Amino acid sequence: MAQEFTLRLITRQAGGGEIVRTRKVEFQDVLIGRGAENDIVLDDLSVDLNHAKITRASPGRVTVEAEGAGGFTLDGREATRAQLDVAGEPRLGFGGYDLVLEPGEDGEVVITVTQREEPHAESVSLFSLKAQIFGRRRMAWIYGLIVFAMCLIVPAAGALFMDHMTIHPDKQWSSGPLSKSHAFLEDDCQACHQKAFVAVRDETCLSCHQTNLDQAATARLATRLKDEGSPNAALAVKEHATHDELLKGAPPPSFPGGMIKAGFQWAFNHPATRCASCHLEHTAPIPEEGTPEGRVKRAATPELAEPFTCGECHDGLKKRLPATDLLDTPDWGRHPGFRPLVTVSAKGEKADVRRIAVSAHPREDSGVIFPHRLHLDPLGGPARQAMQLGADRGYGGTLVCASCHRPDKTGTGFRPIEMERDCSSCHSLAFAGSGANLKFLPHGQVDKVVAGLEAYYAGGGSPSAGSGRRQPGEFAGLSTVQGPRSSAAAAALRTAFAPAGICSDCHTIQRTGGWPGVRVEAVKLTDRFLPRGGFDHSIGAHRGQGAGAFACADCHKAATSDTAQDFLIPDVAKCASCHGKTKAQTPAAASADCSTCHSFHRPSGPALTAQDKLMEAIRGSWETAPAVRQ
Amino acid sequence: MATLLCVTLTAAYFLIDVRPRHSGGTWMGYSLGALGAALIVWLALLGVRKRAVTAGHYSLKAWVSAHVYLGLSLTVIATLHTGFQFGMNVHTLAYVLMMLVIVSGLFGVWAYASLPNLLSANRGETTRRQMLDALATLDGQLHEAAQPLDRDMAAIVRLSLEKTDIAGGYWQRVFGLYGGCANDRAIERLARARQGARGPEAETLAQIDALLRKKAEALAFARRQVRITALLEGWTFVHVPMTFALLAALTAHIVSVFFYW
Repeated sequence: MAQEFTLRLITRQAGGGEIVRTRKVEFQDVLIGRGAENDIVLDDLSVDLNHAKITRASPGRVTVEAEGAGGFTLDGREATRAQLDVAGEPRLGFGGYDLVLEPGEDGEVVITVTQREEPHAESVSLFSLKAQIFGRRRMAWIYGLIVFAMCLIVPAAGALFMDHMTIHPDKQWSSGPLSKSHAFLEDDCQACHQKAFVAVRDETCLSCHQTNLDQAATARLATRLKDEGSPNAALAVKEHATHDELLKGAPPPSFPGGMIKAGFQWAFNHPATRCASCHLEHTAPIPEEGTPEGRVKRAATPELAEPFTCGECHDGLKKRLPATDLLDTPDWGRHPGFRPLVTVSAKGEKADVRRIAVSAHPREDSGVIFPHRLHLDPLGGPARQAMQLGADRGYGGTLVCASCHRPDKTGTGFRPIEMERDCSSCHSLAFAGSGANLKFLPHGQVDKVVAGLEAYYAGGGSPSAGSGRRQPGEFAGLSTVQGPRSSAAAAALRTAFAPAGICSDCHTIQRTGGWPGVRVEAVKLTDRFLPRGGFDHSIGAHRGQGAGAFACADCHKAATSDTAQDFLIPDVAKCASCHGKTKAQTPAAASADCSTCHSFHRPSGPALTAQDKLMEAIRGSWETAPAVRQ
Repeated sequence: MATLLCVTLTAAYFLIDVRPRHSGGTWMGYSLGALGAALIVWLALLGVRKRAVTAGHYSLKAWVSAHVYLGLSLTVIATLHTGFQFGMNVHTLAYVLMMLVIVSGLFGVWAYASLPNLLSANRGETTRRQMLDALATLDGQLHEAAQPLDRDMAAIVRLSLEKTDIAGGYWQRVFGLYGGCANDRAIERLARARQGARGPEAETLAQIDALLRKKAEALAFARRQVRITALLEGWTFVHVPMTFALLAALTAHIVSVFFYW
């Protein structure tokens, strides 16, 4: 029985095919290693010089033993020593070589040595990045789909199908911050964008900004807004003109730009006549002067985009709106003269008030007798009397405008003249008593005067010895048909209504039949002569403060007016002496924007500043005290 | 043409008074946006167009030239479209992606203009195949020379043979980051090992040292080629995927505007 190992060495060729060399080893063991002295030389550097030894243990069995530190693999498992049944054709691994043992003829052990693989030759594609990174195309699709899903599908699905989201993926669609007044809606896109692909409609705006709501509706709205987190009450908007008038009054689209624009607006269902067409949200705030850029996070109110200038609509307006009584004002230079409200006659149930141009020199008949010149004359009687009244009663010097015309709360205008407050310090209504017990006639209605006098004299009162300006004398007009119940009362009444009596100072007294036999002509004092303009008396330059400024007398020629019929409101030319002028022309030069005096939504006042609007909002309304209306 | 377009649009932007001020939402903003979107789509179509090489008036060359100039003009058009209003939103995302695409494209213009020369200058007469073959030959010689070495010494050679990565990953290629190269480490370890060596072993080690150093030179040569190639190709790995992301963001930008009209 031959005690031999047969070695079969198989070398793979590059082009395929194998070279097989066979040799026999006639020793008890077979040495394996990188060193040349071994029976099986494996030129793999991971194989030790003397790596292992295969020894015949018994017929059909061999022992494999590692000689040095390096082991081997047996059918894929790590090992350093193993006894093997050759019939099982075990496979030993040394570095890059495989040794397969199998039984040969006559108890021979055949060892087949194969090199697992030639070291892989690098390809030139190694130079290209494509070899290294996963495909550009795949990367492209992945990025594209991620953006598409995250920026379009998810927000759109959220907007369409989910009512109450805790996260708001559609917020990424917002092109900019909402203004402070609407900031509380920032998480709720659908508050305004109610229907997908439909531009924000006026009904949406008016769901908060509706004017003329009744008290209950106002309260409901306030509660709703508070719940939604609004810091302010909603402004109730007053329309400049009806929607229909606005549409008709606006100039037709220009050719070709305006028409193209209108075409697109029609095609894309984005009408330019909506609230949101002018009041723009989602715009980056414009940094205010002096504020470092980026500090302003939000504008105070929505940005305003004017589709037309005031002048564009108010030019040839009659052609488009034949019913209008507005005069054209294409620009400041062509502002028509003022047409104030003039009380032509205060007589009758309703005063006859008409718009008359200042240039037509209107005469006013308010029913009151009042010579401004007399009162303002520093050497006149009223001035002397005012000086005698003294500072503790609000006078002390000669009479000035402010002695009678007292600013209203805002200072822009004046409180209506009230006889008791503004005149009675001199024109005393006292008719009896003295010192602290002076008795005053009620002012306003003849009936009350009569009743007051009768009540007093019925109680046994006596006329005061020297009460104010009471003049002695009889007034023949006082009839005694019905007769007073007290002759003292009748005497006092006669005294008051006599031609030189206290009432006749300011009022026209008509004699009538019956008791008490007098009628005081109605008085209608005008609060605002120019209700469509917002002249602000509180502005310094309008109060004589600063260089070039106008004081009262510069506009109102009261000091030379002998009768209340004189009309003391100046024409627009007076405004134009500062507004629209340059600083070189007058130090009091000021802008001449339409909005300086007129506000779009509140034509009776100047445009509100953002600050004003917030303050107004807090107060809850834009409404101002109604002025005299035609 | 592209310059004229840019100058005209910029002049228009500053001369035309758009109320209340410029933004994507004015008539001019919409016009610029439509023009920009059309341009982006056309520019992206180069990917389709380049697969059909044609000559003549509308040759691929002319197309690519127009792609570059109109692509550059897009920076002006899109920036004017924004009205210089940016924010954390899908609209600015589209703008940023577009700028990324354009900047990577600009790099591509520079790369295509200057790198091919560098590439052939570095290569000289050697082909890339020859570079790899030279490395393979050196590896063969190292393998051969290391045969008499014992396990520890052989491990040094194996480090060079088995762990050396010629090219590496994206950033390694672009910035030439081969600090921890296995071949260099093998040279260092061999230098230490040689100190105690005597006789024939010392000779073998000296021979191996020489081979490792030769391999280092060959590696540096091949890696310069790899790096230039990476620069030449690298920008497209930003340009193309970002274009897809841009097209998606652009779609989202446009749809969202009409969605919340």
